[in-house]
Amino acid sequence: MSPTTDAAQPGSRLTARSLTLAYEDRTVVHDLDLAVPDGQVTVIVGPNACGKSTTLRALGRLLRPRGGAVLLDGTELARIPTKQIARSIGLLPQTPVAPEAITVSDLVARGRQPHQSWWQQWSDEDERAVADAMSRTDVTALADRSVDELSGGQRQRVWIAMALAQDTDLLLLDEPTTYLDIAHQVEVLDLVRQLASPAEDGTRGRTVVTVLHDLNQAARYADRLVAMKEGRIVAEGAPGDIVTAELVAEVFGLEAVIVPDPVTGSPLVVPGAPWTPASPAPASPSASASSAASDPASASAPTPGKALRP
Amino acid sequence: MTSRTEGTSGTSGSPVAVQGVRVRPAGYSVVKAGPRGRFLLHRRASVVAAGLVVLLAAVCVAYLCVGESFVAPGEVVKVILGQPSSAELVVGTLRLPRMVVGLLVGVAFGVAGALIQTVARNPLASPDIIGISQGASALTVGAMTFGITSYTVLPYLSVLGGIAAAALVYVFAWRGGLHATRFVLIGIGFAVALRSVTTLFLTKGDYLVAQQAQIWMTGSLNGRGWSETAPIGWTLLVLLPAIAWAARAQRTVTMDDDTATGLGVRLGRVRLGLVALGVVLASVATGTAGPVDFVALLAPQIARRMTRTAQIPLLSSALLGAVIVVLGDLLARKLFSPTELPVGVLTAAVGAPYLIWLIIRGHRGRSGGTA
Repeated sequence: MSPTTDAAQPGSRLTARSLTLAYEDRTVVHDLDLAVPDGQVTVIVGPNACGKSTTLRALGRLLRPRGGAVLLDGTELARIPTKQIARSIGLLPQTPVAPEAITVSDLVARGRQPHQSWWQQWSDEDERAVADAMSRTDVTALADRSVDELSGGQRQRVWIAMALAQDTDLLLLDEPTTYLDIAHQVEVLDLVRQLASPAEDGTRGRTVVTVLHDLNQAARYADRLVAMKEGRIVAEGAPGDIVTAELVAEVFGLEAVIVPDPVTGSPLVVPGAPWTPASPAPASPSASASSAASDPASASAPTPGKALRP
Repeated sequence: MTSRTEGTSGTSGSPVAVQGVRVRPAGYSVVKAGPRGRFLLHRRASVVAAGLVVLLAAVCVAYLCVGESFVAPGEVVKVILGQPSSAELVVGTLRLPRMVVGLLVGVAFGVAGALIQTVARNPLASPDIIGISQGASALTVGAMTFGITSYTVLPYLSVLGGIAAAALVYVFAWRGGLHATRFVLIGIGFAVALRSVTTLFLTKGDYLVAQQAQIWMTGSLNGRGWSETAPIGWTLLVLLPAIAWAARAQRTVTMDDDTATGLGVRLGRVRLGLVALGVVLASVATGTAGPVDFVALLAPQIARRMTRTAQIPLLSSALLGAVIVVLGDLLARKLFSPTELPVGVLTAAVGAPYLIWLIIRGHRGRSGGTA
C-alpha cells in the first residue's frame, strides 16, 4: 500500500485527497477527502447538482481534478496508464450509448477490452468472465438479441454485465437505477449487494461506489453512506449512524421523520409534513414546511423535523 | 496487482454459466494463429468479404474485356499472366493500368470513409462532404491556374490540401473534446468555403486550364496509368500495418466517450490516429483520380448493411469501394460510348440520391450523430 502513512485508513484502494473539481470556471466540488472502503458498498447521496456524479466521474478518471488527486493504491490516477486503471476500476456511466445494432454478447464482451491486445483478441479467461457476468445479471438467454430491442431493465442489466465482465476489483456505478421501475431497481441493487458480499472461500467481494437518487434505497443498500451538499461531504458513515432528521434537513432541506425500515431495519426517511392544499401565495404561513423543501437556502429553517418524532 | 487479478473473482463464489453454453460475442468465431495469437472473426463479415472478392474479380475481368473493342476473357487472362497475346496493347497498356488505379483509389476511399465515419459516428462524415476532397481540389486547381500542371507534382499538392483542410476542421471542431455533430457541420462549412475558393481559381484562370481542372475535379480515371499507380500503391502498402491496427481500434470508438475511457481506451489518441489515417488515404486517392464523389460515403454504409456488424467493416468497405470505382469507370466508359464520362459523374449519380435518403431517414429515426 501507500508508503505515506497519512493516506487512507487501511483497506482503501481508492481515495480522494483534497479533491477540487470544476467545469470551465464553475467549481463543483471543493477540497473533498474520501476513502472508499474495500469490499463494501459506498453510496453517495445528495440533492441535485451537489457534485455527487462529478465526484464519481473523477474517481473513475473521467474528469481531471482541478486540484488535489484521486489515488489508486496510493498512486495518482493521472500517473497510471489508463488501460492499467481499467483492470482495477470498472465504471458504468449514467447514460451509456451502445453501438447501433450490437448484440448483447458482443457488448458484454467489450468489457474485456482492457485485458486484450491486438494479437490476443479473445482468451479462455475472456470467455469465462463474459459467461460469468452474463449469468450473474441473468442476461445469458438474451445473448444473441440486439441491444436496441431490449426493455430498459434488460438493457441496464446488460450494461452492468459489461462492467462485470471487465472483472475489476472496484466498480463505479452512476445512478444505475435511473429509468427503471421499482422491481428492476430492487433487482439491480440486490445484484450490487451480492457483488460486494464475500465469496464462500472468504475472499472479500468487490468494492462498489454508486450514486443513488433515492435516499431510502441508499440507506437500505449502503455499507457506507456519503452525504454531499454543495460540493462538500456533510456526513459519512453507516446509514444507521448518520441518517437523522437533522441530516435530511441539512442536506435536502426537507422536514422528515426517520423510522426503521420494517424489512431491514435500516433508516427510512418519510417526509414530515403532510401535503396541505396550500394557496400559491408565498407568504402563507401554512406553506412554510413545503417551501423549506423546495428552497435549499432555507435548509436551516427553524423547525427541523426532530420535533415531529414520535 | 492486488487480490483479484488471477481470476479468483467469479469462478469460486458465483453460479458459473451452464456447461456447453458458449458465451462469445454473437456471430464471431475465434481464429487461432500461433501459440498465443487469437483473433475474433465475424462470420457474416467474412462471407461478405469473400463474396466481394469474387464480385471484384468478375468486375475486373469485365472491365478488361469491355471497351471500344471487345476482348475475350481468355485473352485477358493471357495478358495478365504475361503470355504473348494479340490484346497486349489494348488490355495490357490501356485498360489494365487504368483499372489498377481505379481499384486502388476505390480501396483508399472505402477505408478512408469507414474510418472517418466511425470516428464521427455519422455516415455523413465522409471525406468528400467534410471538406477533405474540397481542400485537395482547392490547392490542386490553384496550382494549375498558376501554371503547375505536371502530374508528378499535383497529387502531392492535393494530399497536402486535403490534410490541411482536415487539420483546420479538426482544430475548429475541437472544444475540449470532439463532438460528432459539430465536426460534421464545421466540415460542411469548410467544404462550401473551399469549393468557392476553387471556383474563384477557375474563373481567374486560363480557359484551357479551367477545362482541365474541371475534368480533374469530377474525378476521372481517364489517362491514368502505371505512373499514377506507384504513389497510391506504396501508400496503401506502407500504411497496411496502420490499417490493420485501425480495424481493431475501430471497435473501441463506437462506444460513448465515458464507457470507452472506462475500458482503458485512450480516446483522444485513437480518434486522432484513425482520422489521420483516413485523411491521408482520402487525400492520396483524391490526388490520384480527383474527388470521385460519394465512394467514401457509399462503400462503408453499404458494407455495414451487408455484414450487419456493430461497426463499419474495414475490409468489406475497401473491397466495395474498389467494386464501385472499377464498375463505375466501366459504365462511364461504355454507357455513352464513344463519349467517355468521368467516373465521378457516375458515382455522384448513384451517391446523391443515397445521401438524400440517409438524411431523411436520419431525421426520422435515431440519427446516432451525437454522444
